[in-house]
Amino acid sequence: MVKKKSDVYSVEIYGTKDLEKTETGDKDEKYKDLKGNKKKKKTEDLKKELDLDDHQLSPSDLEEKYGTNISKGLSSARAAEILARDGPNALTPPKSTPEIVKFLKQMVGGFSILLWIGAVCSWVSFGIQFAQGAESPFDNLYLGVVLALVVILTGIFAYYQEAKSTNIMASFSKMIPQQALVIRDAEKKELPADKLVVGDIVEIKGGDRIPADIRLISAQGCKVDNSSLTGESEPQSRSCDFTHENPLETKNIAFYSTTCVEGTATGIVINTGDRTIIGRIASLASRVGNEKTPIAIEIEHFVYLVAGVAVSIGVLFFIISISLRYKILDSIIFLIGIIVANVPEGLLATVTVSLSLTAKRMAKKNCLVKNLEAVETLGSTSIICSDKTGTLTQNRMTVAHLWFDNQIYSADTSEDQITQPFDQSSPSWTALSKIVTLCNRAEFAPGQENHPIMKRVVVGDASETALLKFAEVILGDVMNIRARNKKVAEIPFNSTNKFQLSIHETEDPNDKRFLLVMKGAPERILERCSTIMINGKEEPLDSEKAEAFQTAYMELGGMGERVLGFCHLYLPENEFPDTYPFDTDSMNFPTSNLCFVGLLSMIDPPRSTVPDAVSKCRSAGIKVIMVTGDHPITAKAIAKSVGIISATSETVEDIAKRLNIPVEQVNRREASAAVVNGMELKDMSLQQLDEILCNHSEIVFARTSPQQKLIIVEGCQRQGAVVAVTGDGVNDSPALKKADIGIAMGIAGSDAAKNAADMVLLDDNFASIVTGVEEGRLIFDNLKKTIAYTLTKNIAELCPFLIYIIASVPLPIGTITILFIDLGTDIIPSVALAYEKAESDIMNRRPRNKRKDRLVNEQLAVYSYLHIGIMQSIGAFVTYFTVYAEQGFLPSTLLGVRVKWEDNNINDFEDSYGQEWTKYQRLYLQWTGYTAFFVSITIQQVADLIIRKTRRNSIFQQGLFRNKVIWVGIFSQIGIALILTYGLGHVTALNFTPLRFQYWFVAVPFAILIWVYDEVRKLFIRRYPGSWWDKNMYY
Amino acid sequence: MLHTKPGWRLMISPKPDTALEFYFNKSDAQSYAEYVSTLRKFLESYDDSKQSQNINCTPGRIFDQNDVAVKKACRFNLSELGQCSGKEDKTFGYSKGTPCVLVKMNRIIGLKPEGEPHIQCASKEEGRVEINYFPPEGLIDLMYFPYYGKSLHAHYLQPLVAVQLAINSNSTKEEIAIECKILGSPNLKNEDDRDKFLGRIAFKVQMTE
Repeated sequence: MVKKKSDVYSVEIYGTKDLEKTETGDKDEKYKDLKGNKKKKKTEDLKKELDLDDHQLSPSDLEEKYGTNISKGLSSARAAEILARDGPNALTPPKSTPEIVKFLKQMVGGFSILLWIGAVCSWVSFGIQFAQGAESPFDNLYLGVVLALVVILTGIFAYYQEAKSTNIMASFSKMIPQQALVIRDAEKKELPADKLVVGDIVEIKGGDRIPADIRLISAQGCKVDNSSLTGESEPQSRSCDFTHENPLETKNIAFYSTTCVEGTATGIVINTGDRTIIGRIASLASRVGNEKTPIAIEIEHFVYLVAGVAVSIGVLFFIISISLRYKILDSIIFLIGIIVANVPEGLLATVTVSLSLTAKRMAKKNCLVKNLEAVETLGSTSIICSDKTGTLTQNRMTVAHLWFDNQIYSADTSEDQITQPFDQSSPSWTALSKIVTLCNRAEFAPGQENHPIMKRVVVGDASETALLKFAEVILGDVMNIRARNKKVAEIPFNSTNKFQLSIHETEDPNDKRFLLVMKGAPERILERCSTIMINGKEEPLDSEKAEAFQTAYMELGGMGERVLGFCHLYLPENEFPDTYPFDTDSMNFPTSNLCFVGLLSMIDPPRSTVPDAVSKCRSAGIKVIMVTGDHPITAKAIAKSVGIISATSETVEDIAKRLNIPVEQVNRREASAAVVNGMELKDMSLQQLDEILCNHSEIVFARTSPQQKLIIVEGCQRQGAVVAVTGDGVNDSPALKKADIGIAMGIAGSDAAKNAADMVLLDDNFASIVTGVEEGRLIFDNLKKTIAYTLTKNIAELCPFLIYIIASVPLPIGTITILFIDLGTDIIPSVALAYEKAESDIMNRRPRNKRKDRLVNEQLAVYSYLHIGIMQSIGAFVTYFTVYAEQGFLPSTLLGVRVKWEDNNINDFEDSYGQEWTKYQRLYLQWTGYTAFFVSITIQQVADLIIRKTRRNSIFQQGLFRNKVIWVGIFSQIGIALILTYGLGHVTALNFTPLRFQYWFVAVPFAILIWVYDEVRKLFIRRYPGSWWDKNMYY
Repeated sequence: MLHTKPGWRLMISPKPDTALEFYFNKSDAQSYAEYVSTLRKFLESYDDSKQSQNINCTPGRIFDQNDVAVKKACRFNLSELGQCSGKEDKTFGYSKGTPCVLVKMNRIIGLKPEGEPHIQCASKEEGRVEINYFPPEGLIDLMYFPYYGKSLHAHYLQPLVAVQLAINSNSTKEEIAIECKILGSPNLKNEDDRDKFLGRIAFKVQMTE
């Protein structure tokens, strides 16, 4: 299967005809797998368009084909026609779900269905009561309206939250409109790139983004960076020659959204918008199914659990109440009460708020989360497949080592170097630094004098840039040095010579000699030398010294570094007077018997924060796999330097080398590390890949194509891992989508990658992922606490209904009152738990097992419902009975009293003390009971909030005051309760009454009991790890 | 009673099963038999034989017994109810077209009425009914208060006011709405939107012949 998938992508990208024929069947299968439906027609279209032959046509044929003229371009009128036909030259944004569908989803998702049922039941019973002409049917009408409002408001809230995080991304994709230089009506015009049409003649130059797929008709030194398309990091040269059958390989086509690095070119637009190669890949990525996030699965699991409890208790008591001869109508009303009591109405909104709070915190730490649920996914990540370039490394060549005077020196490769610490006293260094400075065509772009050297923009290729900055750091103003040593001749680097040479006047006015400086591939440079400089003196290059050179060269190369050799020669004054006409074509100057000065090696060094981040990942049980298009040696060197391959581990090849045996004889299980080449991966079976992923803890995939990344991701997911993938190129987008969490690079990332990803790393830094993991794990723990807190009081809300039905006491708490707890007093405290600090170092434990470590597990439900929940219920009932007893009804008189109590015609109902009560007085007392029950749940929820701060540690270890938001929660809770009872106590519709103040304290002993009970629980958990207690009481 | 408005709730006897509406035919004893038996039953506890332990209290004064462990109950003589006592007319006037309705105050512990509380009833429709009160003026004597609760105040009997409705012979077959209120006491409220029995009671009478 994996094999097939990879082929599908290569068809899309490499589009060779013979492959297409054989793969059609598989392709449809693939879409079926990913999306569950066939998209045959579209797929066929995709293939047809890949029959691109424009690269094989001559310019005149092209003119004919597109009805254009290479020198004059299209006419504006014709262009407008084509624009109307083809549409603008822009990628259609991925089809998003219509807003109304998103909104409606929020209205029916989660607990909403249950609440809708409750609302409908209320309206039905209102209808019946109204028809029967009962006394107060409107209560049920209002209840139905309130329930519907709750659903609608929480739905709107969730929708708003989601829309807000989507908007962050929208702002991202809106970049400055691109301009293109077009020839139309025989004039050069600047046009917005989305107005380009097929047949337009466009001019591009270094620094431009290619505005469409373009067939080049002329080019001067043009190089393009195709990395976003193919993953190759080296710039590719472009010319007008047809060099390859495959449109992706040929040199005369430049692709939309790639960048022109240097040079200029003119070309005909051959494809625009979604019909460009990149457009087709992007639309492919949008078809890779999105996996459900782990937290979404957890919340679903939790909703099912609670809804299951609600429905089964509801139905059970519906049956019980029918068999107890209650009227059907009454039974329906009980059912509503039970559902409302069981459903934590505010919880899903709370979870959303908690997640978005974390998302905000993460955004501050440079992790921009597109999809709120991805916040937690990062926390449960067990494998990170990371890019090398830019993510683990600084994405710039930097001089890492030097070799002169028979000695290797290390250079500082950190991001913000201002000096170089190695020994610079040797005269050989002076000579070497002169070559480095002079034999270099790179220049700083003007106007950056105030910028730090390492941050300045340079015109030139990566190696020359590295050398220029290196020289600037050590020597100071390089441009001034070059001006003082005027260049008289130059041969730029080319692939046949493999060297670069220039001849300069010297800055010493007394020295009339010319200085010839040369740099290039070390072995080629050495071939041209007969002497070598040691401590400033030229010495003959004997075999011993050549050996030393070889050793150094091998050592530097073995570190994955790009090595350059440097040599020079002072041309004798008598042979080369200052009027000597240097001619670079005939090379009328010596290019052999030069003096070898030294070696410099460069690497794209790791970011300084990465090794620490990798070791954090390791202790957090997260496997970091490097997936790079780079050379295995470089990849391994970087992997070693950042700790992806630890210092002590060996690959199969290392073991073979150490034991001096053939690779085949090595026991593969002994090697903890593996470096897998993309070529090997291509021939591997699924099982072999699984075996590698299983058996090696440290893996580097080198020379991989972006397509193979998808295979690797799927391999990891087969192991049951939660996989995070970083990527920046367009071709990474399928892998980003496939991953449990796709992380796009904010700086280097292409739009397609950002669209496909769940998260954007604003600073492209691997270390930011680790802080994201930490936040993700913390929010998972804190959500557990929030849910435990919220679920607890459901029992105290449910018991009243059950006791009411069974024991026929006056109803202890009303449905509306319950809603005031769920959506009033409890909301801020449960959000406050999201601010709780971690109890221990969460980065020292393994990622959660998504199958075993559930958000809501049995222990959590049992402890919340049956331990604390029952205690709370008892506390609340004690308050209830206290109020009734003090007002005249001793508990014994309340049992079985329901029918008479609710009879509107009994207006001299005698209580335990002989007093007589009218119906309204009893109703008022009942409301007082509601208020007392409400108040005592609130008081006990304060205790519940405090105990939920920790799951294992004592409150005193955690500190009562570290999380100040908890106190905001507690005060809000009590404040809201005070307002409801005393402020709104006279609004009869709300069923609150101004309660006697002493009733607030009836539940206090129970609140203290809850706290002590939980402290004891935690104490035993800490004392006896692994015991029965620990297993059953830790949630 | 701290949480609702203070004051007596009024109740009547006999109390029809469904709503406070009396329908009877004065010539058909069966039609009012239930009312009569209810009244009879209700007044049983006021029988002299049941009141042997009750004392005669000083009329017109609150009978404060805070310092006494065993609270005494004041005697309420059935004769106070005059024609409505059921002694002379065993049908409480129902057979003559002058039905009696007893108005009682719901018992509330500790309530001490001020002023001169008395019951006053009125029909919305004028001239249909003539109303007589027993005791005269519908007076409620202060000596029956305060009440100390069932256990302390064992044989307590709350005072009653009988309202006799002499229905005008022209107004038979018509529904007559009557409302009775407590008046004359500043601390006894008789108006509340939600509690229809606070210091007042409304009922309907319809008599046929």
